[in-house]
Amino acid sequence: MSKSDPEFLSKMSKESQAAEKQFIGNIASRLGRSAISSAPEHPFRGAPEFWTSYELGREEQIARFMSNWEAAGGFTERTASMSDIPAIIVRILEEMNATSTIRQNLPELEQLGLDEKLPELRHYAWDGLDAEGSLRTAEQADAGIVLADFAVAYTGSMIVTSSTEKGRSVSLLPNILIAIISAERMHTRLGEVMSRVAAVPGEQFPAGVHFISGPSRSSDIENDLTIGVHGPGVAFALIVG
Amino acid sequence: MSKPQGSNVKERAKSALKDEFLIDAVKFTTEKLKNGKKAATAEHGNWEEWRERGRQIRLHTIAHLDYYLSQFIENARAQGVHVHFAPEAKDAARIAMEIAKHKGAKSVVKSKSMVSEEVHINEAFEELGIESIESDLGEYIIQLANEPPSHIIIPAIHKNRYQIAELLSKEAGETLPPETKILAGFARRKLRDKFLEADIGLTGCNFGIAETGSVVIFENEGNARMVSTVPKTQITLMGMERLIPSWDDLEVMATLLPRSATGQKLTVYMSGITGPRREQDGDGPEEMHIIIVDNGRSLQLGDPDFQELLNCIRCGACLNACPVYRHIGGHSYPGTYSGPIGAVLTPALNKNTQEWHDIANASSLCGACYEACPVKIPLHDMLVYLRNRKVERGFTATGEKMAMKGFKLLMGNHKRFRQAVKAGQLGQKLLVRDGYIRSQIGPLGGWTANRYIPALPKRSFREQWAGMSSEVDKSMKPMTGEMKSRMEEIVKARGKGGHHG
Repeated sequence: MSKSDPEFLSKMSKESQAAEKQFIGNIASRLGRSAISSAPEHPFRGAPEFWTSYELGREEQIARFMSNWEAAGGFTERTASMSDIPAIIVRILEEMNATSTIRQNLPELEQLGLDEKLPELRHYAWDGLDAEGSLRTAEQADAGIVLADFAVAYTGSMIVTSSTEKGRSVSLLPNILIAIISAERMHTRLGEVMSRVAAVPGEQFPAGVHFISGPSRSSDIENDLTIGVHGPGVAFALIVG
Repeated sequence: MSKPQGSNVKERAKSALKDEFLIDAVKFTTEKLKNGKKAATAEHGNWEEWRERGRQIRLHTIAHLDYYLSQFIENARAQGVHVHFAPEAKDAARIAMEIAKHKGAKSVVKSKSMVSEEVHINEAFEELGIESIESDLGEYIIQLANEPPSHIIIPAIHKNRYQIAELLSKEAGETLPPETKILAGFARRKLRDKFLEADIGLTGCNFGIAETGSVVIFENEGNARMVSTVPKTQITLMGMERLIPSWDDLEVMATLLPRSATGQKLTVYMSGITGPRREQDGDGPEEMHIIIVDNGRSLQLGDPDFQELLNCIRCGACLNACPVYRHIGGHSYPGTYSGPIGAVLTPALNKNTQEWHDIANASSLCGACYEACPVKIPLHDMLVYLRNRKVERGFTATGEKMAMKGFKLLMGNHKRFRQAVKAGQLGQKLLVRDGYIRSQIGPLGGWTANRYIPALPKRSFREQWAGMSSEVDKSMKPMTGEMKSRMEEIVKARGKGGHHG
């Protein structure tokens, strides 16, 4: 397959600019006015007021998250400190007969020391600079280990964003997902995470922001729930704190 | 079952109604989805307030669509997206094919996109000899069956696992047992290879966020994530009305959409994709294209009766609530969209008004669709407007036109009406048994095929009136003087005392 071709793209870009004027102009004229260029007043932005004051305490948040994650078919564990996590992950990997792992390339995950604790398994860290190699290892790995950027108690969701160190494939391609969630990153409502995401400046904005709420599932065959269709079928949420 | 056959809604519905599996399957699944929604909305609470907020956000966005679309385009371009415009379905297909040809693409993996069904993208790829594979499990099944989706959320709602096992066995080259787990497992393995091979990933778009130029996709399987993670080039087809102003507004849509569609608090995956991979990211597309599609949507703008149609967030709740859809299934409707939303959207998107023929009649106007709609689109009113326009534009069937003329002729003159009742009383003698007409002769069949008509009584109300009126007079207390004089005045003011016989 050919790489991006600047000549072709610039031709398409010219066509696009020309078409845009007419396309937007048509919308404005159908709306009975000329196109507007300043931001309209948006009095109904976001959730209703009564909702934005809805708050759960930390314990309640964690309990709610865990019950939602389990109801969606996932597994949860909670522990007081990050130092307990390696033993839990070792147990999970042994129980699942995993032979290889891939993790986000983050110091917290490096410090789990899986390479030493389970030397018979192959362990990889995502490397955005080796795209082909990283994709291949993620595809072959049995378990993907991620550190959640945020979590939402009310919907039982954890959020991962993409970067050089944090490939989207890590939480997607392996059959087992192990997500470590720091209790401090737990929020009550989706909206709290939305506003934090939206506040990231354009040049630092991640290409992928993924809300994940359990194992992959489908009900497309006779509405019979099947777990693990394309994404991970086994999803662990390990809450720290 | 096979796809219901027939050239119009009525014929296809007739064929669907003979298919017991179809009826049971559709009823079972829609019931489950409907109950799921009911439980989820009750658990969440304040549902009416959320619906109202959803409606307000959608109304506001559509009323300022030119602004938000421009903002979306600017922000998406700033992140490196190539934006394209498709006024018509054929333009969308043409642009996608240009990209695919230029890339020398051999295969495309697709995640669910109703717009891609609208623009017949699979056929366009096929013509170029490019393999295009649906990766949503339901879509994959119906692609193998060579059928269009029959439900917005559950595309293969009309197929049972035996039929699915047969389709997948053909693909596998071995006999697969009709067990959901095994069938889904086969699809996973098969499609995994396709994801890894594909040159292009093609996605739909649930929402475009204007403030960041992000595309948001809701899904449960993870296939849309695969499509937007693995292939080097991504093409996203987006209906031009899919926008919301901000991430804050996404919270409202994320509250309404999954609960209304399947009763989930949130779909397993909700992904916000903003531009191609950053320079040092290892995955995600290197090149990202968004094709913004009009295809008849702008016709709704500025139309007071139909503009709200653009508020739709494609949850399928109106299908699950509709007593007609639940009986005849999605393939009885013409076009990509079925159920109440399809009954209004298909004619609205389609400039060819001849196509309006009978689709607006596939509804009982009960309003269950409006009740179910998370953004409160008055679909039942729209169906009435649609019927109204059909009549105004002269697309009424000849029989119906004649019947209406006849009705006017009869009811406009009391002598004719009386004669007609007499003729009916005489004529029905051949047909009445036990006080009912059961015969399905001629036009009577339209009614009597499913129920009986009560016979006309021997003496009509009007014939009995003379006797009844004197009895009423006798049993009434005499009027007071004041009342009597007031009545007399009314009668005088009426002139000759009314013109009804």
